[in-house]
Amino acid sequence: MSRAPCGGEAAIVGVGATPYYFRGQSHPQTVYELIGKAVFAALADAGLKLDDVDGFTFFAYGFDPGTITEQLGIRRITFSHIVSGFGGGMAGVLDLASMGIETGRAKTILCIGAAQQVGRRYGQSLTNLGVTPDSVFHRIAGLSGPGQALALSARRHMHLYGTRREAFGEIVMASRAAASTRETALRRKPLTLDEYMASPMLADPLCRLDFCLETDGALAFVVTSAERAADLPKPPVYIAGAAQVGTRDWGRAFFWLNQSDEAFTTAGAGAVAQRLYEKTGVGPKDIDVALIYDHFSPLVIMQLEDYGFCKRGEGGAFVESGAIRLDGSLPINPHGGHLSEGYVVGMTHVREAVEQLRGTAVNQIKNARTALVTGGPAPIPMTAAILRNER
Amino acid sequence: MSARSIAPDLSSLEVPWDAWGEPFWQATAEHKLLMPRCADCGTFRWPPGPFCPECQSQKVAWVPPGQGRIYSFTVLPVPGDKDAAPRYRVPVLVEFEQAKGVRLVSALIDAPLDGIAIGDAVEVEWLTAANASVPVFRLPSS
Repeated sequence: MSRAPCGGEAAIVGVGATPYYFRGQSHPQTVYELIGKAVFAALADAGLKLDDVDGFTFFAYGFDPGTITEQLGIRRITFSHIVSGFGGGMAGVLDLASMGIETGRAKTILCIGAAQQVGRRYGQSLTNLGVTPDSVFHRIAGLSGPGQALALSARRHMHLYGTRREAFGEIVMASRAAASTRETALRRKPLTLDEYMASPMLADPLCRLDFCLETDGALAFVVTSAERAADLPKPPVYIAGAAQVGTRDWGRAFFWLNQSDEAFTTAGAGAVAQRLYEKTGVGPKDIDVALIYDHFSPLVIMQLEDYGFCKRGEGGAFVESGAIRLDGSLPINPHGGHLSEGYVVGMTHVREAVEQLRGTAVNQIKNARTALVTGGPAPIPMTAAILRNER
Repeated sequence: MSARSIAPDLSSLEVPWDAWGEPFWQATAEHKLLMPRCADCGTFRWPPGPFCPECQSQKVAWVPPGQGRIYSFTVLPVPGDKDAAPRYRVPVLVEFEQAKGVRLVSALIDAPLDGIAIGDAVEVEWLTAANASVPVFRLPSS
């Protein structure tokens, strides 16, 4: 196995999560209560105290460090940064945390992700934002959510490459099969292809089962130096590298719909994949388990192409071959992912990567040493991370 | 007979625009569809904005984009009365033969749901919003 030429100076040493709730069911807890519970669980897991915390990293998702500091009673922060770009920026929090540790800006950084949908729905996020001179065309077209806009990419992928609904169905079925053994998962009943095909169309070619769950919940991760990690109770999971890349070809993604012709049927992750692999010295063949951002099943196919697991246009056939199952050549989302376990805007994928690399996952991939975590296809920056259990 | 897509009711929609988009809506008021092209290097941009993404010029020429074709589309069921006949909207992404590199997203109206394909030619049709004429599309044969 190739050794990472750089990175690995920072490690995840603690993980905490609330239960995952169907949309709105975390009420009357507030989102800050959910965050606090995840933070305290993560610190307990790491064997550290609240007073050890001196940094935060987030991605743009509607909660702020000031409130967290006040409500939890954190004494002093020397590093607090937010990656822009919604779920696309999710894995970038690990990049920021690494930067904070490597530069000495902070010693113990909390990476936090949370979602709560009381009185609003992420599935209608295009209309939540109000009508602007740019977005009025989405309104005229009738596009009110990301899944509807991404259906345009999915249809064109089918048109250009012959990608089949059976491939979308396989992604959902694989996710459900994995989730069936995981108690934290919200959708655990195994699914047949007939059941998938009978699911009502919400945004043709996407049926209801191609849409991920809408979930409330919070997760927190404690990041510190590899040196300090050696003295803490849990096996460290090293951040071999994380990358944040944006290109003008991609821009605001489905909020724009004017991506370049080449980019339109991708998940926008080609440039971040290239930078991540260069930065870490890890390639697609070195990945033992991949946590792929699965908010809509066709986008999994496009990411598998972007990250070099198969050629452009061959993602459907790759998936239909069984490769992404737990016993396949590239197991993806052994926790059930956003489609079946829960959707906290990507952060559940980081948790699963840590559990896989600690060797404690519910659906443990044998000898998993290197994990890929991808952020979602969304406005730039697009982000991804490679985690390892050895430096 | 297959169901056909509906035309959205835009009568209460107040279309917002800024200085860079205003010429677009001035043209649509006269039922003309124009797109912004850089007056220096000829690159189209969308949505209308202050700079050419290719040469950063601020000079714009508004020109007819030529024949529109379907780049992609989706079909959305419209929520409504369970006992009534189901209704569908078709968001369509249109590219133009003489405005390469940009696409306009709008509604495809009155189209048979089983008779829409990527690459099909489309014609402009006009709907009335509260303060503007809005370009939507239809298939020529329909």
